[in-house]
Amino acid sequence: MLKKTINLLSSTAFVIALGAISASAETKIGVLVPDSGPGGLFGPSTRNSAALAAKQINASGGINGEQIELLFADVGVPPAEAAQAALRLWKGQGAEAFVGMHDSAVREALIGRFNGQVPYVYTPVYEGNSCADGLYITGETPSQQLEPVIPFLAEKEGVSKWYLIGHDYNWPRDTNALAKGYIDDSGGEVVGEEYVPLTVSEFDSSLQRIKESGADAVLITLVGGGSVGFNISFAGFGLDEQAIRLGTLIEENTLAGIGADNANRLYSSSGYFSSIQTDAAASFATDYYTAFGSDAPALNGLGQSAYEGLILLAALANKAGSLDVAAMDAAAEGTTWSTPRGDNTMIGRHMAQTIYLADGSSGAFSVVASFDSVPSSEACSN
Amino acid sequence: MSPVLLLNLAWQISTLALIALGLAIVFGKLRIMNMAHGEFVMIGAYAPVITSMLGLPGWLQLPVCLITVAFVAFVLERTIVRHLYGRMFDSLLATWGIAILLREIVELIFGRSYQSVSPPLSGTINVIGVDYPAYRIAVIIGIFLGFIGFSWWNTRSKMATRIKAMVGNPELAEAIGLNTARLSAGAFVFGCCTAGLAGLILAPTVRIEPMMGLDYLIRSFFALVVGGLGSLEGLGIGVSIIAGTQTFLGAVSSQTYGYLAVLTLSILFLWLKPNGIHSSSR
Amino acid sequence: MAYQIGLYLIYGIAAQGIGYLWGKTGVLPLGQSLFFGIAAYVTAITLRADGNLFLNLGLATIGLTLISGLAFLLATLVFRGRNESGPYFSLITLALVMIAEQVAGTASSLTGGFNGISGFNSLGNLDPFGGFYYVIVAATVTVSLLLFILNRLPINLIVKSVMDNEPRMQLLGFRTHVIKGAAFAFSAMIAALAGGLFASHQGIVTPTSAGFALSAEMVILTAVGGRFHVLGPLIGAVIVGWASAELRDSFPYWELLMAVVFILVILKSPGGIAELLETAFRWVWPKEAKHVPPSVLVPKIQFNKQKKPLRFEDVKLQIGVVQILNKVSFEAPLTGIISIIGPNGAGKTSALNTITGNLNVTGGRIMLGESRIDSRPPHRALANGIGRKLQVPSVFFSLSISENLAIAMMAGRLRLADLFKPATYQWRSKSLFDILSNPSVPLNEELTEPVKHLPQGHRQFLEYAMTVAAEPSVLLLDEPCAGLSPDETTLMTELVKTYQSETSGLVIVIEHDMSIVEAISDKVLVLHLGQVLAFDDYDKVRLNTDVQAVYAGGTK
Repeated sequence: MLKKTINLLSSTAFVIALGAISASAETKIGVLVPDSGPGGLFGPSTRNSAALAAKQINASGGINGEQIELLFADVGVPPAEAAQAALRLWKGQGAEAFVGMHDSAVREALIGRFNGQVPYVYTPVYEGNSCADGLYITGETPSQQLEPVIPFLAEKEGVSKWYLIGHDYNWPRDTNALAKGYIDDSGGEVVGEEYVPLTVSEFDSSLQRIKESGADAVLITLVGGGSVGFNISFAGFGLDEQAIRLGTLIEENTLAGIGADNANRLYSSSGYFSSIQTDAAASFATDYYTAFGSDAPALNGLGQSAYEGLILLAALANKAGSLDVAAMDAAAEGTTWSTPRGDNTMIGRHMAQTIYLADGSSGAFSVVASFDSVPSSEACSN
Repeated sequence: MSPVLLLNLAWQISTLALIALGLAIVFGKLRIMNMAHGEFVMIGAYAPVITSMLGLPGWLQLPVCLITVAFVAFVLERTIVRHLYGRMFDSLLATWGIAILLREIVELIFGRSYQSVSPPLSGTINVIGVDYPAYRIAVIIGIFLGFIGFSWWNTRSKMATRIKAMVGNPELAEAIGLNTARLSAGAFVFGCCTAGLAGLILAPTVRIEPMMGLDYLIRSFFALVVGGLGSLEGLGIGVSIIAGTQTFLGAVSSQTYGYLAVLTLSILFLWLKPNGIHSSSR
Repeated sequence: MAYQIGLYLIYGIAAQGIGYLWGKTGVLPLGQSLFFGIAAYVTAITLRADGNLFLNLGLATIGLTLISGLAFLLATLVFRGRNESGPYFSLITLALVMIAEQVAGTASSLTGGFNGISGFNSLGNLDPFGGFYYVIVAATVTVSLLLFILNRLPINLIVKSVMDNEPRMQLLGFRTHVIKGAAFAFSAMIAALAGGLFASHQGIVTPTSAGFALSAEMVILTAVGGRFHVLGPLIGAVIVGWASAELRDSFPYWELLMAVVFILVILKSPGGIAELLETAFRWVWPKEAKHVPPSVLVPKIQFNKQKKPLRFEDVKLQIGVVQILNKVSFEAPLTGIISIIGPNGAGKTSALNTITGNLNVTGGRIMLGESRIDSRPPHRALANGIGRKLQVPSVFFSLSISENLAIAMMAGRLRLADLFKPATYQWRSKSLFDILSNPSVPLNEELTEPVKHLPQGHRQFLEYAMTVAAEPSVLLLDEPCAGLSPDETTLMTELVKTYQSETSGLVIVIEHDMSIVEAISDKVLVLHLGQVLAFDDYDKVRLNTDVQAVYAGGTK
């Protein structure tokens, strides 16, 4: 009962405890998390991941010798209100850098607000093509998630006829535009492509089209609840026998909503799964559940990305010697660092990282392949 | 028309009819525009989750669903909704507030995460030459039979007549000894329970989370508008047009155009035929 | 604070538009972000294309005009031929905003899709939190002042009267669908102004700006702040916005609290925060009643007062399967008093309804001189010189007597410019002045009383006074003496006879009391089962055997 309160209380207690350890907190970092709105599901795990990162950064000496303190704001609201919330932290409470886990519309609003005057790390999966002074991106781009994965699946599962279905907005359209090239390169063909409005929650006619197209693989760029509903119906119609599914935003919560009954041959491609079997990932998960309890909100790629963002921010700031945007921009290219995701490099302001492909058939993800140091196709420069 | 499209239409129409039924009852009998209707569908869909949380066996899902929804509906009727009879705009706004309230409460109890419910029947069966999910076929048949029963009850039973009398003329109804307060509460709770039942039935086929209700509200509302408010025949026509347009255009064109067509159709009806199709034959 | 309050003020401006429409006309717009969003997108596209201040201001003016024109067209089309402001129109606006949000999200080449349009400077390259903040404040002050001024002008009374009693307004010759359309257009223009400011202030416009959620949010701000007061929605926007920003991150039950507050406001305090504040304010500074002396300087009646004969030609009226009027034919004299009598259900009131267009005939026609007047909208009746008093006194119950009379004085006289002149309130025609100065008429001492406190008899006199204020040449009176005492009945018949003799026009009265019929009638029309049984002098009608048969209880 009252999970939200308990989570909030426990993370508050945790942050207070941090404050007690680091009485000399001087550098304030704004962390923008979705507590409300469609992304509200990821608020708690994002907060926790960020708090864990702050603890580790402070334990290893902080940013340029100063301890850091996190200031959270809810940006699961429309862009105007989100920008307002960020501004409160920046102008009102003295945040010197930002880490954001939110949708692209909010990112565009923040880029306009920050205008290159404050460092800003954007962390979730996104469609690519965003460059700005002081903007650093850890999130996976479509090229990273698909370029190695599509040929691998074509080979492993022997699939060649792809059907692309996504919600009707920028991210799915941009993802599919790239996907077509990779499918072509892997010797496959696209047998169908469609976009459904975010407001539609019935997929019967789409499923019928998939069935008739003879597709043996479906690339899913539906988000959130739509993805859950689609996948449930997909398996309900027995289409899981006909085609494999690959999603680029199907994380642990979405899979839980889909349920083991409906997850046969459902793959997901991401830079992080809670089931990654590396030492770094295992110790991260241990630290997380130790700090927030065994019933803490499940770890997932989106929530965990806030951890990545803070670690990157610390790495860049320490390398540049300050949180000054010009200095950080100059130092950014080629910065390397390690996290639970693996060994990362900053190339073109984006994070070249390990990409994992996981199979969700059992109702939980098991990693079936990993691809090291996959660069994004983005090339932002000074 | 392909057999699958036919079955999809049957599924969409029957489920929408069940969802919209409660909305039609509450509007038709009580003149309350219940914007929280979708949230009762949501609570119904959580019934399996509640059942397993309480450690009860699966066959108790139906009673758990009806008891939970009826309790919530009754409390809301006594505290809020009963003040709204005869205040149509206020009913729309206050129930909008109730919708937010219910979503937040469910979120506080169960969190934002998606819940998953397994269907009692899995796999597909072959009907009129196509493989179709067995559970859906069972639901279509069940709803169809249920509606036949309900329309029989609606024309025959004393209770339905009393409710009609009450709405037609509350003072007179009270004067001849009908307990209007109890009948109103009954009609509201009954309407919400059908929504809860719809939620329980849909649960294995849809996503389950606190925000899910909105999906169901809008389409039911437009179905009522098109069909004509407050009659069972009108409801049937309305859901057929709304679900039919969405499904048909979704199949031959795209979901986006289906969605826009439903909205455009609703506007035309609201503008040119505000009492719906069915009213013309009255 | 400046960087926070700008956005709230922008929402507040849009909410003031909602408050004006909802509070004054009773029309609840659920899709106001349609106009907000269109204006925001247009502003974004314009600012991105060209930074020239004067060009942009010019385009903004054109944009605002077009958007309000669009809103006007939409509302007048929907409201035409209806006497309600009910939920249908609200649902149309809701569906429209849902279409707008979907189109904004899908048409990415124009709107940038989900991510929206960004990367443009604010109007005149002002700092959004410096110079442009003052632009927002100026806009807020301007809109508030405009609303305060409108509240004091005759147009305010007209808009309120439409909400109070739309059928009466139509019989007074007002085109109510146009009035509601204009009010909607005005609120849309305010929303569009706010949308333009929003785009310029925020530097980004996304589909959420044209979305249902924003519309609902603005309605909530309006309701909580108080829709009946100019400043209410503004107060709501600033308080709720500020509290939301302060509490959202620290108080997990914030949304829950908002929902409860909203429900409580709807149930218990429809006037919102503003009403509470005003009550407190009035407790300290009581409002002084101002008395404005009426003036007999009034403009001429605009319609043609030339007298023409009224003629029914085989008029049929069928509703459902019921034949209410069945080939009614008669020609009324140019001048005089005609009484219509007949048992209940004879079609007396329906006959008057067909004259004023409240019911459309299903056969035959009604002529006034050479022009056909049946089946026209009711607001056209007065333009033909036809005035009507209804069976159950139909006045503006929420207004005072003097306000009721002021509205009646505007009927048939008002020109567009008069809507904005306070002097219009003081109009008093000679016929109205005569009635009010008659010491027996129980209205004068009650001029500031709200009409809902008036007894039935006084309401009859009020409605009569309102109907003759426009000096119609054909006066239709439906049971004017119902519920009056014998003294009052005598007074009423005197008034009617005086009016008829002074204007030498036609008066048609429905009356049951034969002594009254005898006293006033030049001719009597007897209706029975939708047909004319007799149309003659009182004495001849009295001796008519058919009429006697009906009144003796037989059905012929």
